[in-house]
Amino acid sequence: MSAGRAVRKAYLVASVAGVLFFAMSVGLLGIWPRRVIEAQTAAMSPEHPLGLSDSALRGRAIYAREGCAYCHTQQIRYLHPDMARFGAPTLAWETRFDYPHLWGTRRIGPDLSRAAGTRSADWHYAHLFAPRSVVSLSVMPAYPALFDGAADRPRQEARDLLAYLESLGRARELAGPEGEAHAREACNCADDEMRQMAFAGPVNAHPAKARRRGGVPALAPSSDLARGQQLFGDHCASCHGATGAGDGPGASALRPRPANLIEHEYSNRRVAEALWHGVSGTAMPAWRDHPLNDVAALVAGVRALGAVRDEPALPAHLAELGARVYAANCAQCHGAEGDGRGSAADALPMAPTDFRAQRPTLNQSLQVLRNGVDGTPMAPWSGRLGADEMLAVAHYVRGFYDGGAR
Amino acid sequence: MDDTAVHRAVPRVDTTLVHAHGIAALVTLLVSVTCGIIVAFQLLYPDLGAGAPWLSWGRLRYAHTQGIMLGWLGNAFFAFLYHAVPILSGRPVTSGRLGRWLFAVWNFAVMLPGWVLVLSGVSQPLEWAEFPLVVDAVVVVALAMAAVQFLPAFFARGLEYLYVSSWYIIGGLVFTLLAYPMGNLVPEYVAGASGAAFSGLWIHDAVGLFVTPLALAIIYFVIPAATRRPIYSHFLSMLGFWLLFFLYPLNGTHHYVYSVIPMSAQLAAITASALLGVDVIIVVANLLLSLRGAGFLPRDPGLRFVATGTYFYLVVSIQGSMQAQMAVNQAVHFTDWVVGHSHLAMLGFASFAAAGGLVHAWQRIPWARYNARAINHAYWLLVAGLLLMVVDLTIAGLVQGQLWADGAPWIESVRASRVYWVIRAHGASWLLAGGFISLLVGLTTGPRGGGWQAVEDRIGAAPIEQVAPKLVPVTGGAA
Repeated sequence: MSAGRAVRKAYLVASVAGVLFFAMSVGLLGIWPRRVIEAQTAAMSPEHPLGLSDSALRGRAIYAREGCAYCHTQQIRYLHPDMARFGAPTLAWETRFDYPHLWGTRRIGPDLSRAAGTRSADWHYAHLFAPRSVVSLSVMPAYPALFDGAADRPRQEARDLLAYLESLGRARELAGPEGEAHAREACNCADDEMRQMAFAGPVNAHPAKARRRGGVPALAPSSDLARGQQLFGDHCASCHGATGAGDGPGASALRPRPANLIEHEYSNRRVAEALWHGVSGTAMPAWRDHPLNDVAALVAGVRALGAVRDEPALPAHLAELGARVYAANCAQCHGAEGDGRGSAADALPMAPTDFRAQRPTLNQSLQVLRNGVDGTPMAPWSGRLGADEMLAVAHYVRGFYDGGAR
Repeated sequence: MDDTAVHRAVPRVDTTLVHAHGIAALVTLLVSVTCGIIVAFQLLYPDLGAGAPWLSWGRLRYAHTQGIMLGWLGNAFFAFLYHAVPILSGRPVTSGRLGRWLFAVWNFAVMLPGWVLVLSGVSQPLEWAEFPLVVDAVVVVALAMAAVQFLPAFFARGLEYLYVSSWYIIGGLVFTLLAYPMGNLVPEYVAGASGAAFSGLWIHDAVGLFVTPLALAIIYFVIPAATRRPIYSHFLSMLGFWLLFFLYPLNGTHHYVYSVIPMSAQLAAITASALLGVDVIIVVANLLLSLRGAGFLPRDPGLRFVATGTYFYLVVSIQGSMQAQMAVNQAVHFTDWVVGHSHLAMLGFASFAAAGGLVHAWQRIPWARYNARAINHAYWLLVAGLLLMVVDLTIAGLVQGQLWADGAPWIESVRASRVYWVIRAHGASWLLAGGFISLLVGLTTGPRGGGWQAVEDRIGAAPIEQVAPKLVPVTGGAA
């Protein structure tokens, strides 16, 4: 065989091999993984996993169209930092309805695989309409086109997008402990460290997810007021306002409105709880990702906002009245002791105010009695109680405050 | 200006199509870069765009990446192919008429509708596949047209006469035709994690089977054509070529390390990524040895762009091999490090090679305008802008990764990024914009035929076949 023919043959063989190698890459890294993933899905998925509603599907198209996946991944890796921040690593079956996948390769904002139940609806609307109205340091684009001019007037598109966000991770949460147990058994992952990680922690570990109750780590009292004020300006002022009056740029879209921190006195414990657990049922997220000394400084910063005034004394003839009105109308929710643990409290979408840990000013107390608190079960009482009765009970609830004795 | 010299040097080249694709490349480049610069500034001024949907970050980024890959690099590659294929094969391209159709389809049935559609919200959310499926169909038709246009010339004289650039051109066009539909179509019909596996393949195939082969074809072509010396080793060139086509497609899954995609597939891709670094060392060693004597920064601007692209190719590939490894990947994945890496690849390597090829071909169009000073400025502005951007984003990525690993509040990683985003937007992007505008100025102003004059002044105008015999196979054959 001549040299030329040998070269020609070698090149022909290589050309065929090149195409075969491409086919091999598709087989090895595409088709074979697909078979493994589908087998895993079949074995580990709950029998009837939650699919996407029509609204969520439309929301998904909006998420795709706007390129949300460029900054928000939907893939929690089998790595401890990922799991600690976002929750359980993404399992194959959780992605079974994703056509196409939206995993993403860059995180400018946080991962959204477990977005369901992490934030309140009005927080999402405020955030989509004007991100910096609720997260002052955010660099997210605003999407006013999804709204009818204001954050509390979402168009169908905004509602669909929210439905989609609320579907992320929902299927796994709804599968519950039974679902986790089933998946763990099916994965047969006794020796596989990575597979074990899939079930190691809470499904949604998001540090901003509000919890109704739970312990608070011990906080050393902080005297670093400057740090507390700086943190307040960075993270809180967007909703609570620069002065703490509850009138920040994000406030108008939120129901209930952000707390007016000037018109209340808070115990250390109350502020620490609100920071550590958020306020479940409201837009107030938790801040568990912040270092404990920062949380302590923020507690000091928030408490310093409260105006401690000399309030007019309760007219003597109303002293008895307050206790009676309170016992008849308020104690079911706020508790006979004013600790927010009345018999009906647990049935409410959010915890009633604990008057032992926070004391409204008389003015605030009266306003709430008259108008109620929009977005909470606290109803207006002006139609049901007389002026004297409201004045009496407004004084009365202020008497529970123990200034953090406990 | 001696016209006969030019025509001897550039046999049967359809200079109109070189020029047309070159201008289209520069125009699409400026549009794509504008999108990139706007999104860079939107990270500093998020309300820039005033909430207009078509000016929102996500949509502009769709337009940016597709514009760079298909508009700028695609057109620049076509311009180079119209110049190089006749020289490499000794035969003209298939048809001038087909060429005009290809030009029209690529720019007015792919780029224009693609941009309009993604900006108006019709897109698919897959990286490097953002144009919607209807545009993808046209891309596949256009790629098939390109294969018909450029490939037949090579087969007239048989495989053993093919120079390495020819192999890269054939490989690039054939494999892109295979990979493009896979990457754009499959994830739409294969759910979630399985679809992501295919996406990962395509992300790397787009770079490895479309961009890299054609960029290397340019580098392998321009070095001997401009230095007037054959490349150092044809054996190494072919070794590098085959290793590339065997290894690149096996890399894709390294975009999803620590995911639910089977670990053995991840490990295979990570291994292939390391081996790919070896291949690139072979290729670049051969290219650098071929450049010997031309200086680290050759005086000829086309050659200088190409040589610089070669240096960046080495750096970005070694970086890529490294960041695919699990220990590095967990620290830098999802950060700006990767954004720096992709710009080092698409801008530092591919765009420098494409610009070098464009300048080289432009010099050899007898009637093309050529402004040497502007091209020189373009080179230095682009080098400065790219280095600033890549170093800046690499450091940013390390900072972000560290903050995430430390469990710092999420927003702290955004806050810490700001200073790096300021440097990118206010520093690097203006340098790069200046560089790209200078490149446009360099190729659209100045005296007609100035390019060839510059070549003659420097090294004489002997025809390419005489001074670089191993670039073009000897007619008659060795068999």
